[in-house]
Amino acid sequence: MTVVDSLIALIAVIGTLIVAFVVSVWLPGIERKFVQARIQQRIGPPISSPGLMAPIKFFFKQIINPNSPMPGLYNSLPIIGIIISILLLIIVMPQLYFLVAFASVVALVGLLKVEEILYMFMGSLSKSVLSIRMPFPDLVKGAKHRDVPRSFVEELSSMRAFRLIAFGSFPIYIAIFVPVAMAGSIFLNDIVAYQQLHGPVLFTLGGILGAIVFFVGFMILLNEYPFAILKTKADVIEGPLLEYASKYRAYVYISRGLLIFVLSSIFATLFLGLPPTILSWTILINIVVTLAFTIIMAIVSAFSPIFTYKQFYPVVAGVSILGVLAIIASFL
Amino acid sequence: MDEDNKITDETPKKQVIETEVPLGPVHSAAIEPYRVRLFVEDEIVKDAEITVGVNHRGIERIMEGLPVEKANSLTEKICGICSNIHIWNSVLVAEKALEIDVPERAQYIRIIMAELERLHSHLLYLAHGNEVLGHETFSMRLFYIRETVMELLRMVGGNRVQYGVPVIGGIRPRAELDQMKIQKIEDGINFLEEKLSNFAERFISDPMIMSRITGVGVIKKEDALRLAVSGPTLRATGVAVDLRRDMKEYDPFDFDVITQDDGDIKSNLLMRVLENFESIKIIRQAINHLPEGSITNRSWEMQDTPITKNYVEAPRGKLYHSYALNDGRVRHCIIRTPSITNIGAMEYACIGCHITDAQLAVVQCDPCFTCTDRAIQIIQL
Repeated sequence: MTVVDSLIALIAVIGTLIVAFVVSVWLPGIERKFVQARIQQRIGPPISSPGLMAPIKFFFKQIINPNSPMPGLYNSLPIIGIIISILLLIIVMPQLYFLVAFASVVALVGLLKVEEILYMFMGSLSKSVLSIRMPFPDLVKGAKHRDVPRSFVEELSSMRAFRLIAFGSFPIYIAIFVPVAMAGSIFLNDIVAYQQLHGPVLFTLGGILGAIVFFVGFMILLNEYPFAILKTKADVIEGPLLEYASKYRAYVYISRGLLIFVLSSIFATLFLGLPPTILSWTILINIVVTLAFTIIMAIVSAFSPIFTYKQFYPVVAGVSILGVLAIIASFL
Repeated sequence: MDEDNKITDETPKKQVIETEVPLGPVHSAAIEPYRVRLFVEDEIVKDAEITVGVNHRGIERIMEGLPVEKANSLTEKICGICSNIHIWNSVLVAEKALEIDVPERAQYIRIIMAELERLHSHLLYLAHGNEVLGHETFSMRLFYIRETVMELLRMVGGNRVQYGVPVIGGIRPRAELDQMKIQKIEDGINFLEEKLSNFAERFISDPMIMSRITGVGVIKKEDALRLAVSGPTLRATGVAVDLRRDMKEYDPFDFDVITQDDGDIKSNLLMRVLENFESIKIIRQAINHLPEGSITNRSWEMQDTPITKNYVEAPRGKLYHSYALNDGRVRHCIIRTPSITNIGAMEYACIGCHITDAQLAVVQCDPCFTCTDRAIQIIQL
C-alpha cells in the first residue's frame, strides 16, 4: 500500500465516520417525530431534539457522580460503546479489508458481543435511589419477609442482559452467517466480491429470510420495544442506563444513534454487498437502509406492548429457527 | 411451609423467598406514590407488600368543624380523578340526614356528571394500563379520546378537575344544561362511542396484547370476596354487584351490570371498556329525558343530626362517607375510598406474575392511592 493509498483510506475512514455521526444524530428524531408521533396522533418533539439537541444540552449540564461502586468505570462504558460502534464501522469499510482476519464476520460477532456485555457491566455498577436506597421505612415491625436479600432494579436488568447474551442475540448472529454460507467465506471482502458477481444476497430466498431475522436481531440488540426487557418502564425503568447524567448521558444517546447506523451498514454490506464508504455513491444506499430500518423499527415499536419472557422466548426461538432455515436455503 | 404450600411463621424465610425487589414510591410505572416490595424467585413474584402513606393530607381532620357547605367542597380535593363522586356522596349524606328532596332535573344532571366522570376515570385507567403494558400508541389514543370527556366536564362544571356541581338540595346554577350544552354532550358521547368501539375491536384482536394480559394477575371470585374487593375489580371476577342498582337516583335509567369471569388483567381492562358503553347509555337516556323544572330545593333548614352514612358506586368501587351535623358544622367525619379495600387484592394479584407484570397486576385494580392516603393516620414516634 502506497502513501497515497493510505491517505485516501484515511480520508475515506474519517469522511465515513463524519457521515455516520451526522446521519445518526437525526435518527432518534425521525423515529419519534415522523413515525411514532404521527401514529400516536400527537405533535411529538422537534426532529432535532432527541438525537442532536438533547446530547448538546447534556454536554453542558453539571457533572454529577452516579450512585455506583465504580463511578469512573460506569461513566466510561458509553464511551467504550461508541468506540466499539466506530470499530464495527471501520471493519466493514472496504479500505480496511487488507486487515484480513480483522475484517471478518468473526470480528463483527466478537465486537457485537462486547457491546452486549457492556449492559451487564452497566447494570452491575448502577445503584440508583429508586429501589433499595430509597429512604422509605418499609422494614418496620409487621413488614413481610424482613430478612430477605434485597436487589437493585439495575441488578435485575443486568441479569436480563446476561440472558440476552445467552439467547437473545441468536437471531442477529444466525442472520450474519447467511451471507457467509452463500459466499463460502467469513471474510468481508469475499462476501462483498461474491455479491458483486452474483447479485445481492438479499434477493435470494435465504437472503430474504435472513434479512427478517437480522431485523429482529437488530431490534433486540438496540433494546427496542417490544424487546426492551433491559429497560422496561414497568419494573427496571431505564435499567442499566438509569444513573447516567450530564455528558455521560449524551454519550449514551450518541452511542445508540451510531449503533443504528452501524448495524444498518453491516446489513448493507452483508446482504447488499455495499459497504459504507464516502468514496462511493453507494454510501447513499447505506443511508437509505439506515432510514428504512429506523422507520420500520419505530412502526413495530409503536404497535407493540413490551414482551416478558413468556413472549420473548418463543419469538427468539421462532426467529432463530427461521434463521437456520435461511442458512439451509443459502446452501441449496 | 404447611400442607397448603403457604408461608408459616416456622418457615425459614430465606428458603422461601430468594430476593426482594423494592419499587417506589417514586417509579415511572406508578402515577401515584406507593411502595411495593416484590419478593421474587427467578423474576417470578412469590409475594408482595404494598405500603402507602406518602401523600397524607388529613382532609377528614380539616373537615371537622367546618360549615357543611365548605366541608363538602373540600371533599372534592380528595381525588383529582373522581372529585365529583366525593362531593356528591358528601352532599347525599347531608341530604339524607336533613331529609331534603332534590328536584328531578338536578338528579339527572348529577347523574350525567357522575357518568361523565366514570368515563373519564375508566379511560384514564385504560390509558395508564396500556402505558404500563408498554403500548404507547394505545395509551396516547385513549388520552386523546378522553379529552372529549374532559371538555364536556369542563363545559358543565366549569373546570377540568374540580367541578363543584352538587350542592345541598340540588346543583349549582352554572351547571344547568341548556339546549346547546345538551347538543354538545350528545355529539361528544356519539364521538366517544365510535372511537371506543374502534379501540375495543383493535385491542381484542391484538394477539401480542392478549398474550400479555390473558391469565395474568388472576383474582379468583372466592378470593375477591374474601379480600373485600369492590367495584369493577370485583365485577371482573364474576360477582354482579353494582351499588348503582341500589341507588334511587339511578332508578329511572336502564343499564346492565357488566361482569367478566376470569378476574385477570384482560377481564379488568375489558370490564372498563364495556362499562364505558353503559355509562354512555345512561348519559344518553338522561339527556333525552331531562325533566323540566327547578335545579335547587332551597326549602330546608339546618338542624343537628346524628352520624349519617351513605354509600355510592364510585368509578373504582364502593365509596363511603359519614358525618354528623352540629350547629351546621361537620363532626365525626369518616371517608373510606374503594382503593383501601382493594389493596389486599393488588398484593394478591401480583403473586405468580412475572416481575414486569406485577405493576400491571396492581394497576388492574385501578388504585387511587391519593384518595387512600387521606385515610392513613401518621403517628409521630
